[in-house]
Amino acid sequence: MRETVVRVSGLAITLAYAVLIGWLYARQPTTIAEVTGGLSAAMGAYRVDQQALEDGLRFFRRDQFSEARAAFARADPGQQDALTQFYIAYSYYRQGWGRLYQDDELYRKGIEAIDRAIALAPGGRIVVDDPTLRIHTADELRVELDSGTRRDASDLNPLRIFRERK
Amino acid sequence: MTPAREAVYLPVMALTVALLGGLRIGGPAVLHAPSLFALVLGLLLMGVLIQSGALAPDRLLSESRPALANVNGFVVLLALFLACAQTFAALTPDSGLPRILFSVYFLILMLNTLAARPDRVRVLQSLTVTFGAAFVLNFVVLDALSDPEGGRLKRVLQVLLEGITLGALSQPVRHPATGYITFVAIVLFLIMLSSLPRRLPRTSRGLIVLQPADQNHRQLPH
Repeated sequence: MRETVVRVSGLAITLAYAVLIGWLYARQPTTIAEVTGGLSAAMGAYRVDQQALEDGLRFFRRDQFSEARAAFARADPGQQDALTQFYIAYSYYRQGWGRLYQDDELYRKGIEAIDRAIALAPGGRIVVDDPTLRIHTADELRVELDSGTRRDASDLNPLRIFRERK
Repeated sequence: MTPAREAVYLPVMALTVALLGGLRIGGPAVLHAPSLFALVLGLLLMGVLIQSGALAPDRLLSESRPALANVNGFVVLLALFLACAQTFAALTPDSGLPRILFSVYFLILMLNTLAARPDRVRVLQSLTVTFGAAFVLNFVVLDALSDPEGGRLKRVLQVLLEGITLGALSQPVRHPATGYITFVAIVLFLIMLSSLPRRLPRTSRGLIVLQPADQNHRQLPH
């Protein structure tokens, strides 16, 4: 009887450990906060820090993008909230946007963030009802960021200087 | 072998090796899955362990055992395979000429060991020396050659070495913690190998069939 208990317990422990390792390999968390955030999200216990999120939005609307991202990172340390990741991607877009050129590095980080947001959202669909934004969906933002990093003939169009930041 | 060792200790140790062996601490920490070649080497090492008697698969999986015990045994074998593959992956340099040389060296070593048919003790001793030497070469010598920090003389030597080897020797700079973690993984792996269920001497009509190691000593085992 005792042997059966030991064997069943061992099997359960091993399977749980193997699942954890598989999850770590699949998700590739880079910090302990991401590990704990991911695990708590898997158990449905993950919560965004609302105060930090509000702080981030305030900075974002004042075009203080680095400060906004610091607050968003505090709000969502595990990178498990689609909305927060959407705003982080948007902050990269707005900070990287230029009338004559875009900052490729910031746009690339924006793409990483919006991809995270899409992966986290149910069905990959994100619609943000924020009147201060001109892009309301993750798909549009993804296209905007992606087109900013591409090199093509439209880059030479002189009328580009009249376009506006979204 | 106790049920606790088979059901808990061995799988947990093997999975820990599989986890730690892939961990690379850097700017962001990342986990590297073993390459296909590392999987092949892992399989060859399993063959070496079975052939030498360091691992007796029939003590983990057999018709005479209960189903639950067989499941535990299967888990041990699977986890051991992952640990073997990940150990080779951890000890192989990340890029360039050293990666090719280490890979070929490990392959030849495994094939040679299979052909030589050594006994359990010699296989474990050989693996300890091999993995220890590979660790020193990879994490001490190559890291020192690739480290951009250091005095002027060291940098001049590095530039000369880079020129001679056409840049094929230097490796991406690793965080020192990676070496410590890999060291722990290798020690854990060797402890695990020595704890595996070994092949027992076969008895027949009261006689003991001598294993190759015992024949060398020309005496009955005690």
